[in-house]
Amino acid sequence: MNTPQTPRDGGWLEQSKRLLDDSAEHLDAATLSRLNRARQAALGRGRRRVREWLPVGALATCSMLVALVMVQGRWHGHAGGTPELPLDAHAAAAGDVDLVSSEDSLEFYQDLEFYAWLEAQQQDQDLGS
Amino acid sequence: MAISPNTIALPTPLSWTGPHVKPTTDERALDNFLKSVERRALRMAELATGMREEALDLVQDAMFGFVRHYADKPASDWTPLFYRVLDSRLNDWHRRRTVRSRWLAVFTRSADDDDEGDEIAQAPDLNDPGPLLRLSGTEAARDLDAALRALPLRQRQAFLLRVWEGLDVADTARAMGCSEGSVKTHLSRALASLRRALEDHA
Repeated sequence: MNTPQTPRDGGWLEQSKRLLDDSAEHLDAATLSRLNRARQAALGRGRRRVREWLPVGALATCSMLVALVMVQGRWHGHAGGTPELPLDAHAAAAGDVDLVSSEDSLEFYQDLEFYAWLEAQQQDQDLGS
Repeated sequence: MAISPNTIALPTPLSWTGPHVKPTTDERALDNFLKSVERRALRMAELATGMREEALDLVQDAMFGFVRHYADKPASDWTPLFYRVLDSRLNDWHRRRTVRSRWLAVFTRSADDDDEGDEIAQAPDLNDPGPLLRLSGTEAARDLDAALRALPLRQRQAFLLRVWEGLDVADTARAMGCSEGSVKTHLSRALASLRRALEDHA
């Protein structure tokens, strides 16, 4: 211990620590029960807080994504000289949101060129027959 | 193929145990940490307020505040951070109490004047064995309690965090929200006051 004390302070300081330790060690059962409940309540509140904020966080992230896509769409609209966002831009923006939010359909979008090529092949075959 | 009963893993019967949430490792560590400090925190709050019920409320508030703000900090920082929250709660309690009882100040001697007293007169006699050692266990505990309660809040916290809790000067300063120099000053005055008070009791 590095406290500013005189050489003879060691004795009574050590005894002070022992007395304080004893007083903390021998708390009555009712007090210990209250401490236990307080601890559990604090931990429970922390747990609930995380659970309560998770959906809010997810919602905020989604909202931000939607807002970003909309703003980007509008900005592109202005840059091209058109004051209003065209309908197909809205559709594209909605598609982007769909793409970002849906993990399952990601493969479909990746294979989009293949499906376009397949459709073209089928059209060629229909014309040939 | 004959199926022996021994080869079939029978499902254990399910039983509803209520909305019990299994604690995570972090939560268990947090629980253990709070368990390790709660008794001393209670005694500190009790020495500050003089009332167990108030002390329990303050410790509970400190636990809430700590879990809310600092639970995600590294475990090595938890002790000074927890005492930082408790110290803040004690300061708030002390301020409220001071405001409430201001009208009584005329009749009571303020214990918060850090600058009072002659430091030379308070200087210890190096040949004396020390005050508490001359008292029996119960008397010593009672007198130590009284002497600690008579200390100004900052001095008492410096003494308890530094001497009892064993925090170093830097962590004590962090817990008390003051400079390391202030911790040394508060502790030095606390030691002098305690020695003097316990001498008077002995």
